[in-house]
Amino acid sequence: MRRVTQDLLIGVVFSALSGWLLKALLLNTGLSPGAPVPPAAKPETTWPALGPSALEVASYDIDAKLDTERHRVTGRETIRLVNRANSPLSELWFHLYLNAFKNDKTLFLRSPFGAGRSGNKAKEYGYVDVKKLTVRGGDGQDLWPTRDRHSPNDPDDETDLRLPLQSPLEPGETLELELEFEDQLPELVERTGFVDSFHFVGQWFPKLARLEDNGTFSHFAFHAQSEFYADFGNYQVTLDVPSTFQVGATGSKLREEQDKGRTRLVYRAENVHDFAWTAWDHFESRSERIAGTQVRVLYPPHQQANAEAELDSVRFALPHFNARYGAYPYPTLTLVHPPEAAANAGGMEYPTLITTGGPWYSTFGGGHFIDVVTTHELGHQWFYGLLASNEHTEPFLDEGFNSYAEAEALEARYGKASVFGGFGLSVSSTALNRLFSAARGEDEKIAQGAADFATFRSLGALVYSRTAIVLGTLARVYGSERFNHALGVYARKFRFQHPTTADFLSVMQSELDSRAVTALTLALSERATVDYLVREISNAPLSAAAGVFDGPTGREQKKPEAPHAAAEYASRVVVYRHGTLQLPVEIELGFEDGTKQRRRWDGSEFTFNVDNIGPSRLVSVNVDPEQRILLDDDRSNNWLSTENASAPHCRERALYAAQILLGALGP
Amino acid sequence: MNDRTPNRFTRSWTSAAAGVLLWISRTLLSLLISYPIVLAIQATSMTAGPDGDAVLFQPGSLLLLELLRLGAAWLASATQLALLLLGVSAIIELVPLALALDLLSTPGRPLPERWTRALRLFPKFLALGAITLLVQAALLLAASLLGAALKPALASTDERLRTLAPIALTGLGLLACTWFGSVLDVARATLVRHAASQTECGARTALARALVCLRLRPLRVLLGPYPSVAGSAFAFLAAAWVTTCFLPARPWGLALALGFFVHQLAMLFAIAWRVRWLSTALQLSAESD
Repeated sequence: MRRVTQDLLIGVVFSALSGWLLKALLLNTGLSPGAPVPPAAKPETTWPALGPSALEVASYDIDAKLDTERHRVTGRETIRLVNRANSPLSELWFHLYLNAFKNDKTLFLRSPFGAGRSGNKAKEYGYVDVKKLTVRGGDGQDLWPTRDRHSPNDPDDETDLRLPLQSPLEPGETLELELEFEDQLPELVERTGFVDSFHFVGQWFPKLARLEDNGTFSHFAFHAQSEFYADFGNYQVTLDVPSTFQVGATGSKLREEQDKGRTRLVYRAENVHDFAWTAWDHFESRSERIAGTQVRVLYPPHQQANAEAELDSVRFALPHFNARYGAYPYPTLTLVHPPEAAANAGGMEYPTLITTGGPWYSTFGGGHFIDVVTTHELGHQWFYGLLASNEHTEPFLDEGFNSYAEAEALEARYGKASVFGGFGLSVSSTALNRLFSAARGEDEKIAQGAADFATFRSLGALVYSRTAIVLGTLARVYGSERFNHALGVYARKFRFQHPTTADFLSVMQSELDSRAVTALTLALSERATVDYLVREISNAPLSAAAGVFDGPTGREQKKPEAPHAAAEYASRVVVYRHGTLQLPVEIELGFEDGTKQRRRWDGSEFTFNVDNIGPSRLVSVNVDPEQRILLDDDRSNNWLSTENASAPHCRERALYAAQILLGALGP
Repeated sequence: MNDRTPNRFTRSWTSAAAGVLLWISRTLLSLLISYPIVLAIQATSMTAGPDGDAVLFQPGSLLLLELLRLGAAWLASATQLALLLLGVSAIIELVPLALALDLLSTPGRPLPERWTRALRLFPKFLALGAITLLVQAALLLAASLLGAALKPALASTDERLRTLAPIALTGLGLLACTWFGSVLDVARATLVRHAASQTECGARTALARALVCLRLRPLRVLLGPYPSVAGSAFAFLAAAWVTTCFLPARPWGLALALGFFVHQLAMLFAIAWRVRWLSTALQLSAESD
């Protein structure tokens, strides 16, 4: 019995010590969560003034009632459209996004299975029925029957419908439309719908397409790979839900009334271009004022740790983004963490409302999954919410720029361990973005419409990751503060302006230079790539010239010196540039005597001879030693060394790993 | 105690010799197992630069992920080969294990005699290993099936319970496997003892006797390997902690040497606890006769 007690005690002590060590190793991220790190950005007074306030173009008053048993929303809607274009309008274009889930023949659902963001198909179909549409102050005639029955050139799709106007709407004039509609929510697909009693209601009301300055509407049928584009306006929305349900929505809650087991909540959001909401009878919530904004987190039971991690992300990222891209202008921000069964609702952005996600154990270990999702979606409040570029035709302006902003913020907070840190291993967002997108530059153009990408995986690699790498390369080449300042100027100048690629390039021209604009144009629009490589190192001993020489004093014969007597060596390495992107690069030369030299090549030619005459042989070369050119397609050909390329660290670690495995699996 | 019972010095010496023997065999076999992986890494040219493979361990892992991207095909093939070598090595390691048990069982015999016995025992050790593998696979399968059966019942419960229940069941399965492993060690000890005393004992008999031992002294059999398992976990985590916290700031050459030293120290520590358990297994086997 004494031996048993002894074994037990020893085992318990070792187990306790192991637990302590495991915790220490997983939390060894270089920065404890929640530690405030001031963002490295200039004070607001040194930036150009923010763009003008949003022009109210399309505003919506909606009164909606949720039937949580049938998963239906019935609503009345008033649309106030101000014709800010410079020509009269003879027609309107409506997005009925919910009709994407009406049947398997819609553009969205007939796309090859898995082509969409979630890869999920609707299990229960959803749609929006417009019951009636009249012009306020008109003759009361229902105009909806005069609409086109289907999206242009697509008889199976009803997400993009044209409504002719009875009389043109002149520039500067206002039109008020009154609609009655009913939504049947689908079982959750692409962030919209229900799972049990959880409801996420996005893209749910009849909505006008964006009116461009020339009087045309930027309208499109809802494609599985596409996101959205709309005009700014003011939204006042009344939501009627069972009193047992908690609601989160775009904007600020003005008031709340209880009546016969139901609650009516009135929300108002100004200068936004969409409105989404959620209702669930199991939500728990936390609120906190962060950087002048009231932040509320709605989360499932038992996920307090995730909610705290999400608040912690906002505590860092909100001030950071404020400093980088201009102050967040809204009084509220709502974070929705959907339940596990509704995970597809996670990772989406709406004005002043974002959805996060992750299982209850997401905060365990050294990964920063919650931070990654929360920071990414929060960044969308600028690169989507405030800039509001066309996500259908130029998705990289939102998702790509936001992926860069996310990586920059996470690396400001966690350093190189921005995605994972633990067990002595760190993984950065930049490294992951490069992993997903390296050598994919020639696959497709980045700057193309969402629906034009071959697959969603291709869109993901190019629009999200490669764009972030393109911007990251410029940040490393021009200096991160200079580039981030340029991006900050762009975000401020074009706030509420729906900027295009041309607008972005104009800022890069003024803040960086024409070479940056050329590189961006080629990388984004021309499938341009770059790969720097070296093939060989040459050394030749330099000695006094030998041979027969005729001089003023007659013929003289000089014998060659012995090679070892050479006092100097002529060394050469040729650096090649494959691809059409011309980016300046540093080249590090290493000599036999241990000295190093740096040379800079502007990358304008296809080859660059690096010559050196010196007392020591050239033994190694390393092109781009600081890994500034993240776009470099293949880094394994960037260096050469005349010394044997052994891998002692890999050998040691592989040996140790094999020993552990053999111990665990062996006898 | 009789006059043939080894004294404390002899016991310590034979334990140390058995530990070193196991460490040498494990190290040599591990060199073989890891060789394809190292070759695959070198084949990518990611280690061909002036800083060798140090670049792969830079913070952020940009070049480590580049290695995975560029060398995915080579690394996948190399990993398959390494796993095959791991399986073969696990079988080959039965010989040094038998030798170590023989050392612990009967000190003072000539080495060639021990080798002969260890080689003779190899088929029986192999049979015992196969039986154990089957039983352990059945235990894990049972845990997995139980988890699947519980899934519908847990569907409407707290998501933490839904996540943890299958993990807990798998953990229980692994614990049962470890326990059966300790029975296996007692059976191996029985085989070695009988071989040393030149009495006949087959694998099935040895296993039956080990099960009798489990029935007679359940706590000693089941808790006996606990210090070894927990001690190994502690050693490996401590080594990871030391190399993570203290080595990155050192020059790479020194970090390499210190890393090797720390890792091998951890391995020797784990093996020492394993040898302690093997001695206990021999004792338990003797007490059950």
